[in-house]
Amino acid sequence: MTFALEIALVVFVVVSAVAVAFLRDVLGAIVVFASFTLGLAMIWVILQAPDVALTEAAVGAGVMSVLFLLTVARTTRTEGDEGYLRPVNFKALAIVFVLFVILLATVPALPEVGDPNAPAVQETVDGAQTPYGVADDNRTPYGYYIEQTPIDAGIRNAVAAVLVVYRGLDTFGEAVVVFSAIVGVLVVLRREEAR
Amino acid sequence: MSAMEIVAPALVDVFVARYYHVTFMVLVAVGLYILIDSKNLVKKVIGLNIFQMSVFLFFITAAYQDGAGPALIEEGGGPYANPLPHVLILTAIVVGVSLTSLALALVVRVYEEYGTVHEDRVEEVMADE
Repeated sequence: MTFALEIALVVFVVVSAVAVAFLRDVLGAIVVFASFTLGLAMIWVILQAPDVALTEAAVGAGVMSVLFLLTVARTTRTEGDEGYLRPVNFKALAIVFVLFVILLATVPALPEVGDPNAPAVQETVDGAQTPYGVADDNRTPYGYYIEQTPIDAGIRNAVAAVLVVYRGLDTFGEAVVVFSAIVGVLVVLRREEAR
Repeated sequence: MSAMEIVAPALVDVFVARYYHVTFMVLVAVGLYILIDSKNLVKKVIGLNIFQMSVFLFFITAAYQDGAGPALIEEGGGPYANPLPHVLILTAIVVGVSLTSLALALVVRVYEEYGTVHEDRVEEVMADE
């Protein structure tokens, strides 16, 4: 049952992405892109990442669509040519196909979806590396976060604990990026109004 | 029975068992196609976003294991999805929106300066000046 839902969502997401590629109307492409993002958010829920799903739906589908719509409101809507769909660009398709085949060649080396023996979901690995050398109890970062979150942070949500406690510096870096982007947008757009 | 008939079904199983990885690769290809093919600068930014979000799919898939719940730690609970890729992607989503807003601000500036967001026409206007 869940597998059927997953396949339906995967097909929906891929079809939306392809529709964005061939729609000539930019406004239509933005609407389809918003539904693409929502489809991905549903996949995050199935893959047990509810925090990512909430952010994706609110920021990805919500804020991003508003930004795109504001841009279209201040510029033009169509690409200026006749017809509903763009013709297939075979040169671009050839380049993209080469990349796709190279990526596909790596698939057999990857762990299966949901594989409990995948390296990313092992709590202990013999000779697990930390920035300070081999961990004495063989714990991976995953095992450490799972065990220590209630003790170190006093909360149950490991995602929030990693975000704010263990990797707080990353989150600070994120805030710096957001601040720089806002300054950049203001600099780029204010210049015109000052003239 | 030729070697192809034995190898081909096994290879299909390999790809079917890794359907999210294959989806990630398809979406990377579609995103790159939009980046190369579209002449409209706004659509190029959309293509960049599709490319980026497909990489998110790769990370979230790596964090998942069968029967896992979200990383809400309980006494005797588990297994859990790995919280670390989730955090990295949360950060990446916000950074992606910041980049998109800056890119779109530049697109608006290009439109104000050249009166078009079509790549080729921008070049035409630049050549005329």
